[in-house]
Amino acid sequence: MQDLDDNALMLKVKNGDLDKLGLLYERHKKRLFGFFYNLGNAPSESEDMVQNVFMRILKYRKSYTGEGLFAAWMFRMARNVNYDHHGRSSKNRSLEMVDPDTVRLEREEGDDHLDKKENTQQLNRALSLLPTEKREVLVLSKLRELKFRELAEILGCSEGAAKVRVHRALNDLRKIYIQLETV
Amino acid sequence: MNEEQFEVKVMDYLADVMTVDERAAFETILKSDETYNQKYKALLKSWNSMQNMNAPEPSESMDEAFYGMLDLALEKTKLKQRPNRLFDGLRTILKPQWALGVVLLALGVAIGYWINTEDTPDSVVLTESSNEAQEIRQKLVLTLLEQPSANQRLQGVSEANKIGSADEIVIKALLQTLNHDANVNVRLAAIESLTHYVDQPKVRQGLVQAIPNQESPILQITLANLMVALQEKSSIEPFRQLLKEKQLDTTVQKKIRTSIESII
Repeated sequence: MQDLDDNALMLKVKNGDLDKLGLLYERHKKRLFGFFYNLGNAPSESEDMVQNVFMRILKYRKSYTGEGLFAAWMFRMARNVNYDHHGRSSKNRSLEMVDPDTVRLEREEGDDHLDKKENTQQLNRALSLLPTEKREVLVLSKLRELKFRELAEILGCSEGAAKVRVHRALNDLRKIYIQLETV
Repeated sequence: MNEEQFEVKVMDYLADVMTVDERAAFETILKSDETYNQKYKALLKSWNSMQNMNAPEPSESMDEAFYGMLDLALEKTKLKQRPNRLFDGLRTILKPQWALGVVLLALGVAIGYWINTEDTPDSVVLTESSNEAQEIRQKLVLTLLEQPSANQRLQGVSEANKIGSADEIVIKALLQTLNHDANVNVRLAAIESLTHYVDQPKVRQGLVQAIPNQESPILQITLANLMVALQEKSSIEPFRQLLKEKQLDTTVQKKIRTSIESII
């Protein structure tokens, strides 16, 4: 239902009712921010990139057809913003910019918390060593609101292919994770 | 089941999108085939760790940057639309009602001129005919403001702008438009028109009293900007009342808070 509403809102934005972009922003800002952040960008960079996505939505609003999901269209732009930010040439680079120590965890200290923190740091390190495309697939699949059908639309492939891509990316992540544990 | 089929099915299983029967069938496969079971368990660990991945909350400056960008875009769009409004206005003038209005205006001026030509000094004739024209225009404004079409009401407000010094009735009509018109654009135009008369205490008071009646964020922000420009201290209380409304837009809330601070 929300997706239908999103599409209707975006069509209004397309027809000049720019105020409606504020509603779309409120609905999607957190998961877009989470997408960029989990891809290994610093919080301030992630915020800038969210801003860039909405600037692009505004700039290319006339090209929005209303076919397919708004979220898929938005995340395709988000992927481009991320590529542009880091340079398309380094599309398959291993990410080295993530400094796990900068990961903000604001909960109280405790054993469980320390374990969790270590796991998160290890996961971030493993993720940073995955090629960008695989990292994107995993981060997008983690967004619980996105179904495989929607993920497929974002990636521009069939639903089955999207599942296979997530599966293989998870496998690669596991292998890197194990390697890091044994180092 | 080949490898790729397993990859698809295990993802459906993990994402919990299988039907009860499909789930049961897949669990049977996992129980009977140790290789697949091992693969599933290994994958489950990575899947769960991904699901536990968190992100901090974005800061308020992200919102500020976005709404700043949106305001700028809205202003640009308004500027682009201005020439179109002019053409719209011209088109409206060509409508029969308008033609009739113009004829009546011309007739009124002509009659006034004819009646007062004899034994009247030239300057008095000019003043009286211009007064009559003014009166006709004021009546036109009042009539147009009562029309059901928003376009015509907008035209009414624009006619009011042409009156050098609107009388109390026109000002009252404009304030009534600001408070009760169903169309946001007409209300916005009424504010613009009333800004010509902000030197009158009644107008300032009317604008302040209109604050609680506005639900549109654009109108709320426009009034906030105007009150800051006027440094109208009496507007602080209505703005504070507005802030108490639960459904008030977050941008408007911020704008009103900064406006109150600037006025104080």
